[in-house]
Amino acid sequence: MTFVSLPFFLFVFGLVVVYFLTPQKYQWLVLLVASYAFYWLNSKWLVLVLWGSTMVTFLTGFLLQKVYDKNQQAMQALGDQLTKDIKKQMKAQVKRAGKRIMLVGVLLVTAALLMLKYFNFFGENLNQLFQSLHWGATIPRLNLLLPLGISYYTLQAIAYMVDVYREKTCADRNPLRFMLFLSFFPQIVQGPIARHSQLAKQLYAGHRFDFRQCCFGAQLVLWGLFKKLVIAERLAIPVNYMFQHYNSFSGPILFLTVALYGLQVYTDFSGGMEIARGVAQMLGIELELNFKQPYFSTSIEDFWRRWHITMGSWMKDYIFYPLSLSKAFTKLSRRSRKILGQYVGKRLPAFLAMFIVYFLVGFWHGANWKYVVYGLWNGTFIMSGILLEGVYAKAREKCGIQEEMVTWRMFRMIRTFVIVSFGRFFSGALNLSTALTMFQRTFYHWKDISFLTNGKLFDLGHNNANWILLVVAIVVLFYVDYVHEMGVHLREVLARQPLVFRWVIYIGAILVVMIFGHYGPAYDAASFIYEQF
Amino acid sequence: MKEQVLNILEEIRPDVDFENEKLLIDDGVLDSFDIISIVQEFNDNFSIEIDVEDLEPDNFNTVEAMVKLIQKLQE
Repeated sequence: MTFVSLPFFLFVFGLVVVYFLTPQKYQWLVLLVASYAFYWLNSKWLVLVLWGSTMVTFLTGFLLQKVYDKNQQAMQALGDQLTKDIKKQMKAQVKRAGKRIMLVGVLLVTAALLMLKYFNFFGENLNQLFQSLHWGATIPRLNLLLPLGISYYTLQAIAYMVDVYREKTCADRNPLRFMLFLSFFPQIVQGPIARHSQLAKQLYAGHRFDFRQCCFGAQLVLWGLFKKLVIAERLAIPVNYMFQHYNSFSGPILFLTVALYGLQVYTDFSGGMEIARGVAQMLGIELELNFKQPYFSTSIEDFWRRWHITMGSWMKDYIFYPLSLSKAFTKLSRRSRKILGQYVGKRLPAFLAMFIVYFLVGFWHGANWKYVVYGLWNGTFIMSGILLEGVYAKAREKCGIQEEMVTWRMFRMIRTFVIVSFGRFFSGALNLSTALTMFQRTFYHWKDISFLTNGKLFDLGHNNANWILLVVAIVVLFYVDYVHEMGVHLREVLARQPLVFRWVIYIGAILVVMIFGHYGPAYDAASFIYEQF
Repeated sequence: MKEQVLNILEEIRPDVDFENEKLLIDDGVLDSFDIISIVQEFNDNFSIEIDVEDLEPDNFNTVEAMVKLIQKLQE
């Protein structure tokens, strides 16, 4: 049962009815049953892996809270004898104990992810190493099934344990409630990766039926379906064809391939996200925004602030900052300042942390070197942008370019789009060597623009009508993104329109999705690109 | 101290009006690289150790909040 299937919408409709008919005190139980039922329907016994990780995370949080509470009681018991120094000492002691508990929990849930997602990858690479060293040992390949959403809920679980350790959230004391926090069905498939302090209270609280919220949620679902079914699924046909037959295409078509692939990934992932957020909103729950018009980014750094936002913010809070401010990195900074000078020395630890972050971002996407290169491609551009900031500023000044100029902003947007698109070769191609070949071929035959006139463009699985439809749908997509970029809340604007006009729009949108949604023979309702990560 | 903090901030980001900006983190005026540079400078100049747990928006949204954080860590 996927987000774009009829059973899913019947499931959501039934859930909304039951949820709001249930006394508010017990509504969270309805969500828990629905979430585990959804997981069971999709993954059967793999639900036990989710449950196992949930219990490890719950117990870690529970133990941490117990240690903190005990320390608090001990400090209170000291009364007037509690001096600043004793307080500091006690806090340091409890933090050390807490760190050990937190690390055990984090290692256990990470081990489950590494084992199920990366075992064969490590095995294959180690086997190659053994072979080159003429060692007889081989690591067998295991037929492991990947539990639905493991890459997402594992990050959410780690964030929870670290947040309890950092005392940014209080640990859950009810294991059933906590099971809901890690399994909430709209976000289990592909995020957004939530924080306990933001989501848990909303999930556990009762909600009254709010017609306006329900309507807004349904509109978001509809917009998500438009993105996924009308654009992403329709783009999948030429994109798959071009990725499979890259050897027969010239540079411009290969660039078009990655550009369209980027658009497919965007509409597929953000479409799924819109459906998730819309369903949650119908239940009175607000999930975090995961996309903020990424095609309007003016730099790669800006792009990653707008693309998969919850993942970026997770990486920042749980990898980048702890690494950059760690004792080892601080020492490195001091030493490198002496050797490399103030400017580079000061930035080196942050660059190193950034390098690790983008390595992990790539690796998180999948057990394949192409993803690692994809991550590092982005990281390298961000780092070079920061490092050469002064040079760029001087060049701008010399050329008389002002930051606020519209043409300059447009140039930056196009430049970002080109860099991001080239990076997509690594995530979209079959493997790293294919990606590199495609990358290389992109620079061939740029003078040959016959593809525009010889009809080859229309020989990619779509007829003229489908291409025209795609272009129109993409124009609509960019118009909506532009309006959002300008700070206009479209759904609120629509809500202020006369009733008849509103319903004409609603029915029109439903018909567009039903008529123009791509349900052809190559259509596989089960797949969202980011679901497999 | 406020003067010294302002000097450090202006050296790192000369384009920002630190006196008047009240949501330096929430509005995305400072990015993660700026934060790391600021923390390094504060640690060196005020002999403190800003921990990752102190990296809350509330501690870095305004100059006053940063001064308060430094004072708290110096105690």
